Amino acid sequence: MSRLYDTVEPAVIDEEMLKKAVEEQGPKEEAGKIAKQEGIDFGDVLSLRLDFLNILKIDNLWEFTKLTKLQLDNNIIEKIEGLESLVNLVWLDLSFNNIEVIDNLDSLTKLEDLTLYSNRISTIENMDSLLNLHVLSLGRNQLTDLENLRYLRRFKNLKTLNLSDNPFCKQDEYKQYVIAFLSNLEFLDYRLVDQQSRDAAIEKYQVSRDEMLHNEKQAEIKKEDETKRQQELEKHKNAYVELMNGPDLFEQMYAEDKEGQKLNEMPGLEDQLHSFKEKFMQICTQIFDFGIAEHEKREEEVKSFWECVEEAKQDNKRLGMVHIDEFTETKKRMLLEMSQMSDHKMVEQYARDYNDKIQVLWDKLMGLELQLVDQLEEVIKEFERNMQDMVGTFVENVQALLSQCRDLENNHHEKMMEIAIVTLEKVIKNELDDEISDDLKMLLVDKDTIINAVSSSHDVHLLKIDNKEDDIVTRINQSLKNLIEQIHQDEEITRNRMRVSEINNLIDHLREEMDNLEVMQN
Amino acid sequence: MDSSEMNEGEIHQIDSDDVIKEEDETENEEGEDLTEDAEALKAELAKIVVHPPSYEQSLMEEFDQAEFSPSYKDNLPKENLVLQYAENFRRQMVQLYRDRKPLFLNPVNECGVEKFVCTTIRPTLLEFKELYNWDGAAEFVADYLNIEPLKPEYELPKRLISPSTVLKRQKGNCFEYSTLLCSLLIGAGYDAYVISGYATKETCLADESRDICPLLKKKEEVQEEARKKEMKKYNVKPPRDLRSKFELKQEAKKEAEKQAEKEKQRKEEEERIAELEKPPPDPYFGLRIHAWVLVLSGKREVPENFFIEPFTGLSHPMDSSNYLGIESVWNNVNYWVNMQDCSEGVKGLSFDLGDSTVWEFMFPNNDKPLLKIPDAEDDLNDMDDDEHIEHGKDDEEHEVEKYLDMPPSWVDALKLSHRDFQMRCPHGKKTKVYKRAKLEKFAHYLMKDGLISRLSVYEDRELTDLMKVHEYYAHRSDKLTQKLTNHRTGQVCENFDPGRPRCLKEHQFKSSTPGPENERVMIFYHEARVDGLVKREETQTEMTEEYSNRDDFLFYKYVEFGKRAKKFGPQETSSANKGRPINKMIQKFHRNRNKPANEDIAEIIFHVAEDKIHISYHTEDVRIAASTREFLKPPNWDEKGAVLTFNPEMHQTFQVDPMLPMNKQVELYEMLMELLKAEEKCRNEVRDSQNEVRNILDDRTKEEAASELDISVYDTERNEKAKKHRRELERQQLEEKMRKQEMDIDYLAPFLAKIGNPEKLSKQQAFSLKEECLADLKQRLIDKANLIQARFEKESQELEKKQAWYQQNQVSMGKEDEEEYLTYCKEAIFRIHILDLRLTRHKEQAPHKYMQLEQKLRNDERLSEFF
Repeated sequence: MSRLYDTVEPAVIDEEMLKKAVEEQGPKEEAGKIAKQEGIDFGDVLSLRLDFLNILKIDNLWEFTKLTKLQLDNNIIEKIEGLESLVNLVWLDLSFNNIEVIDNLDSLTKLEDLTLYSNRISTIENMDSLLNLHVLSLGRNQLTDLENLRYLRRFKNLKTLNLSDNPFCKQDEYKQYVIAFLSNLEFLDYRLVDQQSRDAAIEKYQVSRDEMLHNEKQAEIKKEDETKRQQELEKHKNAYVELMNGPDLFEQMYAEDKEGQKLNEMPGLEDQLHSFKEKFMQICTQIFDFGIAEHEKREEEVKSFWECVEEAKQDNKRLGMVHIDEFTETKKRMLLEMSQMSDHKMVEQYARDYNDKIQVLWDKLMGLELQLVDQLEEVIKEFERNMQDMVGTFVENVQALLSQCRDLENNHHEKMMEIAIVTLEKVIKNELDDEISDDLKMLLVDKDTIINAVSSSHDVHLLKIDNKEDDIVTRINQSLKNLIEQIHQDEEITRNRMRVSEINNLIDHLREEMDNLEVMQN
Repeated sequence: MDSSEMNEGEIHQIDSDDVIKEEDETENEEGEDLTEDAEALKAELAKIVVHPPSYEQSLMEEFDQAEFSPSYKDNLPKENLVLQYAENFRRQMVQLYRDRKPLFLNPVNECGVEKFVCTTIRPTLLEFKELYNWDGAAEFVADYLNIEPLKPEYELPKRLISPSTVLKRQKGNCFEYSTLLCSLLIGAGYDAYVISGYATKETCLADESRDICPLLKKKEEVQEEARKKEMKKYNVKPPRDLRSKFELKQEAKKEAEKQAEKEKQRKEEEERIAELEKPPPDPYFGLRIHAWVLVLSGKREVPENFFIEPFTGLSHPMDSSNYLGIESVWNNVNYWVNMQDCSEGVKGLSFDLGDSTVWEFMFPNNDKPLLKIPDAEDDLNDMDDDEHIEHGKDDEEHEVEKYLDMPPSWVDALKLSHRDFQMRCPHGKKTKVYKRAKLEKFAHYLMKDGLISRLSVYEDRELTDLMKVHEYYAHRSDKLTQKLTNHRTGQVCENFDPGRPRCLKEHQFKSSTPGPENERVMIFYHEARVDGLVKREETQTEMTEEYSNRDDFLFYKYVEFGKRAKKFGPQETSSANKGRPINKMIQKFHRNRNKPANEDIAEIIFHVAEDKIHISYHTEDVRIAASTREFLKPPNWDEKGAVLTFNPEMHQTFQVDPMLPMNKQVELYEMLMELLKAEEKCRNEVRDSQNEVRNILDDRTKEEAASELDISVYDTERNEKAKKHRRELERQQLEEKMRKQEMDIDYLAPFLAKIGNPEKLSKQQAFSLKEECLADLKQRLIDKANLIQARFEKESQELEKKQAWYQQNQVSMGKEDEEEYLTYCKEAIFRIHILDLRLTRHKEQAPHKYMQLEQKLRNDERLSEFF
């Protein structure tokens, strides 16, 4: 292609160019005249064409946030850039440019049609977020590696693909390879992919394709599991009892307790430790189950609260609309009658009546709003009270269960103490049968050391339990507070202000309308 | 009666009157002297009146005996046995219950032979699906037969005609009706019985003029229970009611009183009407004999027992007041006599037929021994006198040996042709009179316009003041199914089946103004319409259309028409089609959730007359007011190709949310352009609607004028086209066959003829025949080969000649000649080649043909015996 523009200086997208393009491509005729007078906001432009302008660098497009279609073909662009803010883009044409690398397209998630025809691209890459892609043209580029095409498998909606005039098209298996590995394609290189050739291609690459499918499926399952687990955990977190259904708390107790770990190696402790763990776990599970059950209860409560509030608001809205409709009917009638009147006094009388009616409407609407405010206030109060009760019981129960944990720990501590002393005695008397580690030996020197070690281990354990308790209690209280505050803010204050301003706005409009009419008649 | 006879009669009358007068006079003369005693005696004597027994002429129809099968004319030994048994049973009953009415046991049949009633029932399942259910069967029997009332009405009939004959003559009395119906029901698997008993006069005479027509009875509407509002925990409290409780109470009291007063009045009125409508007292009340059908629960998923009245085909509950008593009950296997008191009608009777304390059975082989008490029979026998004891013993022995079971029915299989079934009523027509209503039924395809029934409802009981007519149609090609004409209001309502062009479902209009642009309602099958039109209502100046399920969310359209501008001049006819000017158009839309409420139009009003367009938007979820917008149309909007200008004064708006940025002028301008387009579109649609109405009305007029009936392709009897087609096919087949026969020319015929067509061939003849035949074929094959060869040679010679000629004249020849020669050569070579091929093939095939013939001769049946 002979480039007429080669002689022209390379250009940069600037204000002037954009303005010109927008005006040229904007509304025509009368609408165009009006638009010109008023000025066109770049933010409102939906489609923009900047072709054959010898543009070297994409720039200054950040204002076009609503843009859905952008044509930058037949320029000399070397790098994809400056498109980050055009998040609504559906169609992007960058054909006949000098692009070497696909890049900087991550924010264009709505993109459906991407044309990079006749560039210098050698690898398909950096398009992970373009999951809505329908049409992709990569013809006449420098693509050499067929394997690279597997990258396109992630685009489930991709139906049309153009890869012609790439180096790898000369390979014999090119077409079948593409069809086999991108079997969702409907059009390849300007042609319909028929079932027959698809079947043939799939048959040819049966083995590697199956393997690939299998791998993909495995990955998918894994991903699903992961998300499921994540969701589960999220749910537990919302119930404030995450990880309580496992040995997490127990393990945490020993995680920072090095001495405890050493002490656990004392002979004769195994049974004790085992039963302690079991009991501890049991209580943890209890806490977990209780927490989940309470959480569901609270959810139910919140749900029913919102339902009722929504219902009340809907009822109120309906009543308000009925009033407005009634008024609109009378207004229509009155205006019609007024327009047929000639007597000035009568008209004035009517106008006064009308104003009275507006006042009545205002009273009614405001009355309804006040009623709703009262109703909601009452309901919210009740809800708050109930929620607080529920949270209270939850906290109490959790505390009771955790104090059971503490008791267990105390018990365990005593037993530990006994065993430690016995062991110490044995060590001192050298009656110990089993070998013990050096770490433990270090502790088993005298009574004070061992007692200190056991006590400090005990303290660490209690601290962990306390921490857990604190964590649960503060979190639940905090979130309850947030919820209630938000409800007060949204449902009482914001809603009320909005409605009142709406009513006033409406009434003002109605009055104004009347005034205008009077002025016109006068 | 002749007039002369009349006169004679009158004369006689006068004569006798004279005589009586004379007698009276003499009596009177004597009477003057009579004492009071004598007067009393006279009065007493006057009470005694004797009626000379009038000889009831037996009106029994005679039947041609020849058309019945022997079973009708004679009894089998077993039947005789059963008859004896029945006679014995009867005698025992008479003995035991002297004041009981005689039982209906063994009437004579149409051939004058006594038959037991149980054997007259012939369970049959006919091939019509309508007869499979009891209601269909009952309706069929009621429709198919004509009623012959019993004569006299308080005596059992002497004769019971078999159901097969009843079907043929299409009339019968209640016993024959019941027997036929029972046969059909038992055949269809119901537990059905014939009941002989007593009923009211209306029932016996099938007088339904006091009953409301079943078609008019409103179906009990299943009222959907209003969903109770769930009391949820956080339901808001309703605002406090500030009205006085006391006043409310007083109000309610007053209201209740008024209501009670009204209720009372209504009841009184109802009672009065009921009193008026009561039938006159019947002298034979409780004596009128009737037969009807009982269906017991259990089989065919019948949940509870009920009666079927055979004359009307309707079911009656077990406590129906129409039936006054039951004598006996029977089906095809047994006969039971009612032992319960019927002084209160049939109310409270037990129908546990196995309970022998309430039902006396006749045959012990009761197939439903529900409550069999073994001593019952013995007790009965013990009480009998000697003779009967003997009889009883016999019976008992009988029982011990084997139960006497019912002989098979003597009646021939019931037959009903398809045609008769479709004709339904005798001659295809039947009229029934109900209370203030008359129902006429017609067989399908009987009436030209497809009418199958017509129900006329009257204001009064004498059926003179017509209120409305309900007509039902079937098989009409215009799909009309119902037509309701209200003669009071002149309103006509037509219903259609799906399948019409333009999908019309219902059409209501005034019969006085059937033309377009008048009051009418059209309801459509909107699922089938592209535009989803549900209903179009018209008055003289308005039109309202309702839509459903449209992609553009339109659901309502209203148009107000102005008066047609009067035009003077000769173009009156063309302007009539132009339609009226439109004053106002309203379109309403459902909420489109994909758009923000503030941009989703809820209603557009085109004030066409005022050049204004008013738009209301949907209300946002959190708001109560809706945004509105009003445009004035540019002054030159209806000029074609004109540049439409716009200025801000042409637009007014109210935005619910004042914070929203104002629309730009360009947007407003484009909006206005869109609206102008929408208006144009709406106007066109209105015109289209008007045209559609006109077309529909035209179609209707045409259809009414020439109503055609559709004939199903499966209806082989009526479908003339199919018949023709079938006949054509048959004819073709026949022709084909003929041709085949012709093709099968006997190849031996000429040879046989040579030896004089002998009946049978001798061996020698056969051999010589074969030889001859083969030789003939050989000759022919050789001839053919020679022929081909001759032609081949001829062609070759000609070609050679031509070639020689060409070589001689080659020099002097023009181009055309040369070409001609070349084509000739080509063709000739082609022909020669073909001939060559043919000869080769012939040579190949000839021996095969020869062998084939030989084989054929060998297998020929005339010659086969020799080879």
